[in-house]
Amino acid sequence: MKRIILVLVSLLMNAGILLAQETKIDVFPAAPYDRFIIYQTLAIFWVGIIGLIIIIRMKLKEIERIQSLGIDKEDKDTPLLD
Amino acid sequence: MSYQRLKDWFEERYDIEPLRVFAKHKLVPRHKYEILYYTGGIAMFLFIIQFITGIVLAFYYVPHHEFAYKSIIEIVTKLNMGWFFRSLHHWGAQLAILALFIHAFSTLLLKSYRKPRELLWLTGIVLLGISIFFGLSGYLMLWDERAFAAVRVATGGAGNLPLIGNFIKSFLRGGIDVTGETLIRFYAFHVSLLPLVTMILIGFHVFLVQYHGMSIPLSQEKKVHGYTPFFPNLLYKDLIIWLIVLGIMVTFATLLPPEIGKKADPLAPAPENIKPEWYFLFLFQTLKFFPGEIMGLNGETIAIILISCGIFFFFLIPFFDRKSSRGEKSVLFTWIGVLYTLYFIIMTIIGFLS
Amino acid sequence: MKIDYSLVTRRTFLNALFGGWLVAFCGGSLYALLKFAFPTLGKEPDFVVLNVKDFIDISPNSVKPFAWGGKLGLFFKKEDGSTHALKGVCTHMECNVTYKPDEKKFYCPCHKGWFDENGKNIEGPPPKPLEFFEIQTEGEKLIIAKKGIKVELPKA
Repeated sequence: MKRIILVLVSLLMNAGILLAQETKIDVFPAAPYDRFIIYQTLAIFWVGIIGLIIIIRMKLKEIERIQSLGIDKEDKDTPLLD
Repeated sequence: MSYQRLKDWFEERYDIEPLRVFAKHKLVPRHKYEILYYTGGIAMFLFIIQFITGIVLAFYYVPHHEFAYKSIIEIVTKLNMGWFFRSLHHWGAQLAILALFIHAFSTLLLKSYRKPRELLWLTGIVLLGISIFFGLSGYLMLWDERAFAAVRVATGGAGNLPLIGNFIKSFLRGGIDVTGETLIRFYAFHVSLLPLVTMILIGFHVFLVQYHGMSIPLSQEKKVHGYTPFFPNLLYKDLIIWLIVLGIMVTFATLLPPEIGKKADPLAPAPENIKPEWYFLFLFQTLKFFPGEIMGLNGETIAIILISCGIFFFFLIPFFDRKSSRGEKSVLFTWIGVLYTLYFIIMTIIGFLS
Repeated sequence: MKIDYSLVTRRTFLNALFGGWLVAFCGGSLYALLKFAFPTLGKEPDFVVLNVKDFIDISPNSVKPFAWGGKLGLFFKKEDGSTHALKGVCTHMECNVTYKPDEKKFYCPCHKGWFDENGKNIEGPPPKPLEFFEIQTEGEKLIIAKKGIKVELPKA
């Protein structure tokens, strides 16, 4: 008897959860394939950001090196370095 | 090189030498708290992101009480990347307000509002208020149960102000109650009035920062290690921080897209356990502490008056803090600043937990 | 000013790397934004399915409008009783055209363009004739399709 009640209760609970989920609106693509692509894109995005940060740090070092050499203050009539 | 020719063309017509001189001489002091200089830049970056995502969302959103909810569901479920841009706009708003609060409280605690920067403080606090209103009006756009109840509470709270309360309430609501009229009104605020005022104020605020230069905290005035040129060193550092913020925002937007509740129904009972957005929690929690009636007066009115006084004092703090303006240490106002900060943080936490 | 160590090359290299990476990064982000801002919705359909009863009985020398995607389509019965369907959009500036039964011509009021009953542009600014569709009937269904499109109806 106890078992039957337990099963019934758990069934009811499951049904309740299912019903509750039905009213929810998908705010995120549900298909696993889409999800995979999204997470992959997110990872690539972070790689892009980290790459940019590394390059900016390299540039900053370069700028600071030039500044410490004191050659960033160019004269007006120096030819353009391109 | 055509770039050179373009430059020459421009410079023949416009004298940008003063700008160049200015850029070369814009220096930022180095000291213990220099990291707080970045908070303003973060807030501005987030505002730009909000403008961009907001514009594209406005392409699809329908500001009508019957279609608003459906149009957002359509954005989220049918359009390419729609769920992402809505989520990004949501998280951008959260982070922007967080950045603004950090920016404001660090200004308060380091007393950067002192003479001659009073106007910077005033414009900044107005911008903070506008951002909160941005948040509230943007939240109503969703037109779900929670948004509906939140706006009803917030506008009703404003209605408790003596004398002008009712006028403000009916102006905000566009009627005596929150209806479809309110939605259109808030939409107009959200997409035209507030962005316009924000742009003007940010322009003025940033101009004033350039005019005064960076403020150095009183305690650090003698401990400045030196100065870093803004162009290009700090610009690159800003860029690094912006990229990190962008990454965090995109990650949040992807992993935690905001839920959509049930469509608002003016006749339905308010949903249970309703909580406002986190930046309203300290107000919400304060209101809870007041009983319904204090000595025959409406408790809520008293609470609203007290809160208004607190905000008003906060707003005018540079004019009360005479000592800092003279360049002396002002212990009293340090404590007041700490009190405000702690009050905000503790009340927000209590609001979260309760 | 010539410097012994290779300052310029390193700087240019870093600039190129930074610029290229930045362009790629911003381009990727912008692509996502544009994908959202310009969805491929509202594209013209390849065919539409209508109800035969609504259209077949119109009187000769008249037209009846139908929705061709978001645009105007015209179901057209000539005076001799033959039926046609065409896109009711002028080829000049995309105004909707009207049929003038008295003159047996299509008329575009925006810039005074005229088409004859076969859709040929005969007067005014329109550069091309009107687009005619193919008509098929399948039981109750009236299928109007672009010329040269194979219609595959979803099995219901």
